[in-house]
Amino acid sequence: MGFFVRFWGVRGSIPTPGPRTRRYGGNTSCIEMRSDSTVLIFDAGTGLRELGVSLMRNPPKEGLDLHLFLSHPHWDHIQGFPFFGPAYLKNTTLTVYGSEKNENYQLLSGQMSNAYFPVAFKDLSARIVPKAFVDDEVQAGDFVVKRFEQKHPGGSAGFRVEHGGHACVYATDSELDLMLVDPHGPTKSPRTLRRLPSPLVLPMKNADLLIADAQYTDEEYPAKVGWGHARSNTVVDLAIQAGVKQLALTHHDPMQSDRDVDAKVLTASERARSIGAELEVFGAREGVTLRLDRG
Amino acid sequence: MASKRTQTIDEEVPQTMMNRLPASFKPRPRRAHQLDQTAGPGSPSKHELSADALIIGRGSAADLKVDSDDVSRTHAQLLRIDDEYTIEDLDSRNGVFLNGLQVHAAVLRDGDQLQLGDVVFTYNEGS
Repeated sequence: MGFFVRFWGVRGSIPTPGPRTRRYGGNTSCIEMRSDSTVLIFDAGTGLRELGVSLMRNPPKEGLDLHLFLSHPHWDHIQGFPFFGPAYLKNTTLTVYGSEKNENYQLLSGQMSNAYFPVAFKDLSARIVPKAFVDDEVQAGDFVVKRFEQKHPGGSAGFRVEHGGHACVYATDSELDLMLVDPHGPTKSPRTLRRLPSPLVLPMKNADLLIADAQYTDEEYPAKVGWGHARSNTVVDLAIQAGVKQLALTHHDPMQSDRDVDAKVLTASERARSIGAELEVFGAREGVTLRLDRG
Repeated sequence: MASKRTQTIDEEVPQTMMNRLPASFKPRPRRAHQLDQTAGPGSPSKHELSADALIIGRGSAADLKVDSDDVSRTHAQLLRIDDEYTIEDLDSRNGVFLNGLQVHAAVLRDGDQLQLGDVVFTYNEGS
């Protein structure tokens, strides 16, 4: 059985190594979800490199069979791919999911043209296979993955991942505040629940865990409108409306130190409490694994 | 008399001074990673971590024994990878909590608080 979620990269926009970000981590977006027999990877930011190192420590004899989903092809979501060790192994099978045209696959390979990187995509030893969603749903090993559109410059996809009666939603790079039912609500009445439209709430409904872009605080957001990211308090309100059990704030802004992220999480937790929701809020942190099928 | 010049550890290495360390250089003694038990039976106590793998629990197979009924016989495992310790829940009854969040596993960082039943540890990174 088993439904494990591990954070390999939780930083937004650009890698941010160093002592200020040591606890939460400085690698860009990469999440691993696995069961006992299937490994799913969401986004190929720089966290993917270390996931690759980990996968290659004890690879199965028959080779690695991996499933890669990309929210969108902005740099911080694909940059780790050229350094993903398993892509260089002959007995790895890597399925890359996307739309029928699978632009993600094209753009993933495009970043390895020799103007940018010395190894060409076609020279990778792994068997790399594009696969399309059918009606926004796909079976990947023993998981069902459903895709939904989000609000982000150039577009982005969120994913609802189901396995054994449990659900995890990965929803990064989504500017929720541009989709509010009342766009002036947060200014008029900051403490009131910020309502989001039902089609946006539906994919998150009753998820065990929502991993959501919460790059900005309420104070930071006004200077970043249109950049494609959410503020943490609005994400809390989305999670409450969807009846989510746990909310992981991710895509931390590169300017945020560990202490800043702590403060962001504290404010978000207090908001959930003040609204009276039974929602556990925490900051996504590199190296942490959760088990969703426990208890 | 020839002028005295700075001695180096490796006089044989030619060229770049960057490769030479002053004779006075002594590597700082390493301080081991440590778990400080701050609550629960047996606290306060300090446990230096030197093994690559160890079990925390109340059973006889545990390397770090904790005498608490809230703690499973083999409750959690600490694994050292690249000089970082990772804690992993071994299907314990009461789980492993990292700074209040129940986790299956986590790479530990300085100051992390771990709770196993009624037992609380603070992880102190060595140097």
